[in-house]
Amino acid sequence: MKNMVEVKNFRMDFNDKTVIRDLSFEVKKGEIFGLLGANGSGKTTTMRALLGFYHPTSGELLVDGKKYTPEDSKVTIGYLPEERGLYRKETVIDTMVYFGNLKGLNDPLSWSLKYLERVGLSDKINEKIEKLSSGQQQKIQLGITIMNDPKLLILDEPTKGFDPMNRRLLMEIIEELHKKGTSIIMITHYMDEVERLCDRALLLKDGVVRAYGTIAEIKKEFGGKSLDQIFVDVYGDSNE
Amino acid sequence: MNKNVLKVAKFEIIRQLKKPAFWAATLLIPLFIGLVYFISFISASSVDTDVHFDENTKIAITDEAGILTPGMPYVIDGDREHGKEMVKNGEVDLYFYIPADFAENKKAEFYHISEGLEIFNTDGNILKVILTQNSAARVNELDVLALTGNYEVVDNKLAKDGADSNALGKAIIPFFIGIVFFMFIALCGNRFLLTVVEEKENRISEMILTSISAKHLIVGKIIAMLALGLVQIAALVIPILLLVFAKSGDSFIAPILSTIEVDPVSITLNIILFAASAVLYAGVCTFVGSLVSTARDASSFIGPAIIFMVFPLYFMQMFMVEPNLIVQVFTYFPLSAPVALMLRNGFGTISTPEFCIGIAVVAVSAVIVIRLATKTFQKNAINFNIVKPKFLKRSGFKKK
Repeated sequence: MKNMVEVKNFRMDFNDKTVIRDLSFEVKKGEIFGLLGANGSGKTTTMRALLGFYHPTSGELLVDGKKYTPEDSKVTIGYLPEERGLYRKETVIDTMVYFGNLKGLNDPLSWSLKYLERVGLSDKINEKIEKLSSGQQQKIQLGITIMNDPKLLILDEPTKGFDPMNRRLLMEIIEELHKKGTSIIMITHYMDEVERLCDRALLLKDGVVRAYGTIAEIKKEFGGKSLDQIFVDVYGDSNE
Repeated sequence: MNKNVLKVAKFEIIRQLKKPAFWAATLLIPLFIGLVYFISFISASSVDTDVHFDENTKIAITDEAGILTPGMPYVIDGDREHGKEMVKNGEVDLYFYIPADFAENKKAEFYHISEGLEIFNTDGNILKVILTQNSAARVNELDVLALTGNYEVVDNKLAKDGADSNALGKAIIPFFIGIVFFMFIALCGNRFLLTVVEEKENRISEMILTSISAKHLIVGKIIAMLALGLVQIAALVIPILLLVFAKSGDSFIAPILSTIEVDPVSITLNIILFAASAVLYAGVCTFVGSLVSTARDASSFIGPAIIFMVFPLYFMQMFMVEPNLIVQVFTYFPLSAPVALMLRNGFGTISTPEFCIGIAVVAVSAVIVIRLATKTFQKNAINFNIVKPKFLKRSGFKKK
């Protein structure tokens, strides 16, 4: 199996509204894949359907050739959702160790301590989550997302709310995981991140694919324009 | 049992045990009971309830009824006015007047100098002591017993078939378990709700459900909350039981304890009913929690569920006699079944096979509700707004 993710003829209706229409794409093993589109274009819906939160109206969404369920899947997944939260009344270390246990880590405490030191939060170990800044909370969430050394990492707007320093840290972590062979799906509005990190990308608009392929292929298809410009061109149509 | 279920349960138990609010709620009632007991103990030891008077108390009695033995030290020859004068002059502290028609009107009077606002002056009881002692000296022990009524009449009831009937003794354990169930509802209901709602309120459900299934998460939480509920119930019940057994020689408690009928089968069935009812209640709360997205929304849904559960109490009289259709409906309707079964079992108006069927209804309903809660949580895990069930949509239910 070359593909980590396969989406085949995916359609998603909510009541009378069609959010995704006949979407098909693959994410190859070991690649960084950019899922692009404006707000409401269906990116998050696609990821939620892939992870089993939504039942597709039609079509198939497979992870390593199978429909994903946390108990049956052999593929470890790390998911940083768009809607983020933690147990606000719990301490940093208790929260991380709990998730580490759930993700099957042998020694979640050591892993967590090492990670917190790396991201500069070793002095916040026994702090309650609610006492942390939103940027610090995001670092905890990122740690939880990657702690099981995932084979598939899904990051939904991972740099939202990050300052430049933390963005750089996140990019480093993504690159490290990529080197280890992790397949990464990145949902983002920052085209510079896509150009810098992604092997391939897909541009969604109103649940329909507008561009799909390697970054070079997409640029070529749009006359060599930058991804930023392509994004504006695609979404500019709807404003005319 | 699945490892993840245990991991969730462990985490939930530890985090609750760390909260001061949990211990405050757990220990508050036992502490209150202890405090009340302590105060009553202190009061009992500091206030002598026996009526007595010291030798320095100067007493005079006018006995126009002739009830007292002639020559008694307190009896004077003077009339009431003379006695009042003696009080006024300070010759006596207390003056009692027993009128000639005492046997007819059953009223005597006493006079003393008022020392301000005296609402509960018990000095009048001194006359009762004097009269009792005086009469007892003249009659034998049996007469005293017969007159004072200071003896017990043991109640020996017979069932319709002529066998010994110990309705009270049989009812004590079922009703005690019923009371414990109500304590459980009162102490744990909110926690069952919040433990599920917080996953959505904290926007954490999406992250956690990529690591474990909704079923394992919900079951783990229910196990944790049940375990914590048992800790709280134990903290409440054990001191009460210790107190009861410490006072087992008490004239009020001893006869009750002696009537308790310990039937292992009945006790086992009652414990199973309690367990099934607790799980059903947990299931209902988690189902409501999984349906809504905030604790505020949950409170408007859980109220009707609790009303259904305690509804049989409003018809308690019906449960004391041969069951009619309404009682049968309450007995087998899942939400009302726990309380209905406890009442009928307590009043002895249910047969063992019927009781077992009722327990089975509760247990099966508990499993169904938990499965429903799991599926609803999975479906609504990322619904961070209140979910509108179809029947509410049709009836015009508006989103808050």
